[in-house]
Amino acid sequence: MPKLIKSEINVEGRITEEYAVVDGDELAAWGENEELAIVGQPAPRIDGAAKTTGEARFSYDVQLPGMLYAKVLRSPHPNARVLRVDASRAEQLPGVVVVLTHETAPDIKVREGKLPLLPEDARFAGELVAAVAATDPDIAADALALIEVEYETLPFITDFTLALEGSAPKVRPNGNVVSQPSVTERGDLKAGLAVADVRVELTVRTPTAVHNALETHGCVAAWEGDQLTMYESSQHVYGVRTFAAKKLGLPVSKVRAIGTYMGGGFGAKFPGQPYSMVAATLAKRSRRPVHLMYDREGENLESGYRGASVQHVKLGAKRDGSLTAIELDGLTECGSYANWVVSLGGPYAMMYTCPNVKLTTTGVHTNIGPFQAFRAPGFVEGMVGLEQGMDLLAEKLGMDPLELRRRNLAKLDQSEDKPFSSFPVEECYRRGAEAIGWNKRKPTNDQSRSSERLRRGTGMASQIWWGGGGPPAYAEVQLNGDGTATVLTGAQDLGTGARTIFAQVAAEELGLELGSVGVTIGDTYAGPFGPASGGSVTTGSMTPAVRSAANDLRVQLCSIVAQLEDVPEEELEVRGGTVYRRDTPVSSVKSIMRKLGDVMLIGKGSRGPNPSDVSVVTSGAQFAEVEVDTVTGRVRVIKIVAAHDSGRIVNPQTFTSQIQGGIIQGLGLALTEQRVIDHRAGQILNPNLEWYKLPTVADIPEIVNLLIDIPDTKANSLGSKGAGEPGIIPTAAAIANAVANALGVRIFELPITPARVLEALETIA
Amino acid sequence: MKNFTHIDAQSIEHTIPLLDYYARPLAGGTDLIPLMREGVWQPDRLVNLKPLADLHFLREAGDGLHIGALTTLDELDRSPLVRERYQALAEAAHSAASPQLRNMATLGGNLLQQVRCWYYRGPFNCWMKGGDHCPARSGENEHHAVFDQSPCVAVYPSDPPAALITLDASIRIVGPDGARSVKVADFLAPPDELHRVMHGLGLNELITEIVVPHTTARSLYLKAMDRAVWAYALVSVAVAGEVANGTITNPRIVLGAVANVPVRLGAVEALIDGQLLTDELIKEAGTMATHGMEPLAHNHYKLPLARNLVRQALRDLTGQRM
Repeated sequence: MPKLIKSEINVEGRITEEYAVVDGDELAAWGENEELAIVGQPAPRIDGAAKTTGEARFSYDVQLPGMLYAKVLRSPHPNARVLRVDASRAEQLPGVVVVLTHETAPDIKVREGKLPLLPEDARFAGELVAAVAATDPDIAADALALIEVEYETLPFITDFTLALEGSAPKVRPNGNVVSQPSVTERGDLKAGLAVADVRVELTVRTPTAVHNALETHGCVAAWEGDQLTMYESSQHVYGVRTFAAKKLGLPVSKVRAIGTYMGGGFGAKFPGQPYSMVAATLAKRSRRPVHLMYDREGENLESGYRGASVQHVKLGAKRDGSLTAIELDGLTECGSYANWVVSLGGPYAMMYTCPNVKLTTTGVHTNIGPFQAFRAPGFVEGMVGLEQGMDLLAEKLGMDPLELRRRNLAKLDQSEDKPFSSFPVEECYRRGAEAIGWNKRKPTNDQSRSSERLRRGTGMASQIWWGGGGPPAYAEVQLNGDGTATVLTGAQDLGTGARTIFAQVAAEELGLELGSVGVTIGDTYAGPFGPASGGSVTTGSMTPAVRSAANDLRVQLCSIVAQLEDVPEEELEVRGGTVYRRDTPVSSVKSIMRKLGDVMLIGKGSRGPNPSDVSVVTSGAQFAEVEVDTVTGRVRVIKIVAAHDSGRIVNPQTFTSQIQGGIIQGLGLALTEQRVIDHRAGQILNPNLEWYKLPTVADIPEIVNLLIDIPDTKANSLGSKGAGEPGIIPTAAAIANAVANALGVRIFELPITPARVLEALETIA
Repeated sequence: MKNFTHIDAQSIEHTIPLLDYYARPLAGGTDLIPLMREGVWQPDRLVNLKPLADLHFLREAGDGLHIGALTTLDELDRSPLVRERYQALAEAAHSAASPQLRNMATLGGNLLQQVRCWYYRGPFNCWMKGGDHCPARSGENEHHAVFDQSPCVAVYPSDPPAALITLDASIRIVGPDGARSVKVADFLAPPDELHRVMHGLGLNELITEIVVPHTTARSLYLKAMDRAVWAYALVSVAVAGEVANGTITNPRIVLGAVANVPVRLGAVEALIDGQLLTDELIKEAGTMATHGMEPLAHNHYKLPLARNLVRQALRDLTGQRM
């Protein structure tokens, strides 16, 4: 019987409690010594060939008969009121079908759930002012140039570090503080600092980092009568359906959302952004499908970023290294609109045992496009502050930095006063230290006197994050007439390999070969509800649902075989595509299904409830070895060793890809990526990939990903947790610590560019 | 992008009369097309030079190396001849852009590359685009000039020309009045009020070839970037000289990405010419390389970088390892 429960939903650290309906009986978790044939084995992506051959169709690739192409007109001003829009010349351009302005836009509220689709108040350079749908993208672009807009320009502020000063122009009527600052407090901070034998104080800055997913934001909207299909590059296909239905006043049954393949999201592609409603409106008015995908500039101006941060940090410890106090006073850049503020304090609150803590994060509005969640939002930035502080503390204590961390590792979830379901960080430290050669690391203080051109250094940082997932999450598995199976769910694969691990879990549970299992996902008309892919929850939420559905199907299959062959059901099992009675083969699944003709067996499953007595987290550490060229100032990362606990590893190959991807983005934040703004003009100077410098293949070091692979049997029936975010959390902090170790001087502002290295070297020359 | 017509060139003679402010020559298109997309340039006509086989060659003659203007950076990088005798040029070509861009970009076009300044390429009516001031001068100028040569503080972006100046190369140009030859060092010049480009090519002229005189000098090119590959230089240096027993003669040293044009370091050359390159002298040469530099608010690092690169280049040229 289905059971109604309340469950915590955690999307990128935003926790809400919501209802979930789950199976009455949760499957027992696969144990640590469970003999599994397919789960735990490396498997190439089942969609790898389709992607490499170009056969896989992304939202960008969707082509429909009669389809129009849309382009958007963006405000050139960082803060302006739109006084008048004259689209008449654009409308007369041959090929232009519809022009949408604030005067003609429907009454649909988008940003923060309350602001108009095309606002009269443009609060950042790049804000949508108008949109055109035309028969070809070049005509649409030409039409934009014919739209005359009269603006009243207003004072603006784009520097978040100055936006809280009294004289700063107000971005929003209530001022530039996003909401009440988030404060996490336990114990008595002052007392904790007072009893410390050693204290360190530091100010750390992290840059604005843009997701720059290879596939830009956008969708194709197509109406058939009163039914809408949205092909959207989204991290939550079911959320696209909910959002569109709500905003357009449609029954959810009339909205189909499709996102079968996706070129990256990294947190910036949750539903609810204006472009999808612009596309749906243009499609409705033109009665033709509309393709609206942003260009790279639009992606950089409007589609989100990891806000820059400034973190003032104080740490206190006893002579033996035990932490007595942690204080964080942090600012985070939020841009013009925000529903929430990232928590810079997360790692400070969770990673180490400390009785006296006060962590404040203040979100700041500026006249820049809104930030969006970006792969472990807040935690990446927070680790950069916390872990540099820990290294400084270790230096002051004359203690090995790894030893200091060992002594302080959290023993339980201090916010909820609950034990962790699993927290094998010591194991990650031990194996990581061994793989990087930590015992050969030179003390930081010796390095500033070196006259070597190339200086090597080693550093590390720890990781903590959620990622256990939870209900509601549903899947179905169908057994077809030829003995193959199809997994169906509305969950999506952002490019992580989710599709492949769903097939592995179903094949394992059903006793089929991996090649006999197909997966249909990312379509609300094809599969049941799947959760948003954010917060590293897809594995932990969905694989138990898939296993549950496959188990339901397997039970049905055994029951049918028992009836067909007149054998006792409880003695039957399925292995390698064959049904066995004890150890004697009865029949292959294929021949059973052939006998049954058009019969289809359908298994249904859902994710069970989370445990209430333990806290489920992912954890780990990374170790970085760098080489700094003192001639050019460039930091080259030689090697990163990663050791992360994500519970049972379903597929070591896709798991390692996730960790590698996280490390590469973390390396970008550490060394090359930063948005540059001219604050006098309120303009982003590098909304492109020429001056927003992503790491290239040549910048990527040797990455050693150690498989910790300890099933978290209390977490869910797979014992698996997410891997999307853990990989990026410690990277920048570990690299910053390695650079400090190499140079004997610390650079407190990321990215650690050649300019900053050369300037730092001049100070010690 | 504004509509334009596309004409295939028949011959050099046929092309010259077609060219003017509104009709631009198209070679690799790696700079021209993005400039048109960004609306910085809006020509009515493009004259496609690629059919002109007589602009596409690489050969050595008695007086040196002749490089057709349509020779791609990739061809320069891969030429055993260039790699062996004109190392600085091969290294500079190799260090530029990405393989995809080097496959398309031509040496002739590379000499004419417009500045990559983010104000010039962005929504600013800057001085180089006809405006009345340079927003980079007091703005975000970490990639900008440390020598004040004109109202514009953008740096000349291309890599190979610094190497060409070090190798004393010339450019052959054809125009309505026939052919002329000019040293690369003279061809590149800071912009002025009436001439807001950094080169001396007329609107109705074409670069036909680049000639690098025969040399026995060793040469090399070092480029500092803020990632491993595919970036414009933070600072670069091209050096050449005859080296024997640790002594250098006829040195030529050119810095890139420090000014509107590559900067030849005459005083440093004079300091070391005919001298034994001791560690002390190399250090002094590096220090002298920064003389006259006036950093802007965000590019102080270019001074130690230029100093370090000059020292490193001299060490590498004489086979010394630091």
